[in-house]
Amino acid sequence: MKRAAILAARLILGAILAYAAWTKLRAPWPQFAVSINSYQVVPLTWLEPLARTLPWVEMILGVGLITGIALRWFGLASTLLLGFFFSLMIRSWAIGLNIDCGCFGPGEALGPMTMLRDGTLVALALGITMAGFRRRVTEG
Amino acid sequence: MLPAQTAAPKPALPVAKATAPAKNFKETGSPSAPITIELYSDYECPSCRGLWMDTMPQVIREYVVTGKVRLVHRDFPLPQHQYTRLATRYANAGGQIGRYETVVDQIFKTQPIWAANGNIDAEVAKVLPPGEMQKVRDLVKNDLHLDDSVTVDLAQGQTDRLTQTPTMEIVHKGNRQQVAGALPFNVLKSYLDQMLAK
Repeated sequence: MKRAAILAARLILGAILAYAAWTKLRAPWPQFAVSINSYQVVPLTWLEPLARTLPWVEMILGVGLITGIALRWFGLASTLLLGFFFSLMIRSWAIGLNIDCGCFGPGEALGPMTMLRDGTLVALALGITMAGFRRRVTEG
Repeated sequence: MLPAQTAAPKPALPVAKATAPAKNFKETGSPSAPITIELYSDYECPSCRGLWMDTMPQVIREYVVTGKVRLVHRDFPLPQHQYTRLATRYANAGGQIGRYETVVDQIFKTQPIWAANGNIDAEVAKVLPPGEMQKVRDLVKNDLHLDDSVTVDLAQGQTDRLTQTPTMEIVHKGNRQQVAGALPFNVLKSYLDQMLAK
């Protein structure tokens, strides 16, 4: 039962990460640069390298979670990445930025629902990571 | 939405494919430029103001004037903005008398003032001589065809599936790429340079 839950969690999270990456990669990279810039946390010179690489990082993490290879490490990396995004969203919300989430391309306003969704994804990623490390301890 | 960017309403009905704006004053740059930027904006949208004042002067200086980019203005007044339709009429009336850029600049520059009090006339009057201002007033008041190009632009915006303003449609070698939001100049410059290098 527990195994099935972990399997479902990693497939769902992996698919969501891969989909998020795909929505960014199919658009011209400046579109994601605009989304990153709206959070007002990185210098302008970082926008291009981040906009070009982050979607691929999401894609690799998504595929990694789906395959289940090195689950604890893909889980940990996903937790850190999603946790970082989530903290940026909370910060933006707290300081009153009226911005686009940028999670799945343009046109989705940052709000309670997007934060609830991302918070759930962080919890999911954390659960997968903990399960991965626990499995290593019990197996090792 | 991005900071103060404005969401466009979903298109209610399918519309016929639109062509370029009817008025030439909305187009600047060489017709043979390898890249065309169609810039959708709403005069009352703060992000459109930011894009126009921060990014576009550099784009015009480095790409439009040098023949690399043709710039096409497209009006996309949004229903939630009280004075944007009127501001659009002033801009296009300015265009009719050959003062489009002057009026557009002033409308964006003074947006916080007229967006609060609705007095666009007073702000435009600050940058036009009295004779020209009177012509603009007459056009705004009486010209029944002043909004024709706006209708065309709105139709094209629906065809382009706009979700917010400002939005750029960057056309290169027949490939139409949409970028929504206020693009910083360094990002746009890098993107345009990559296209030009192809």
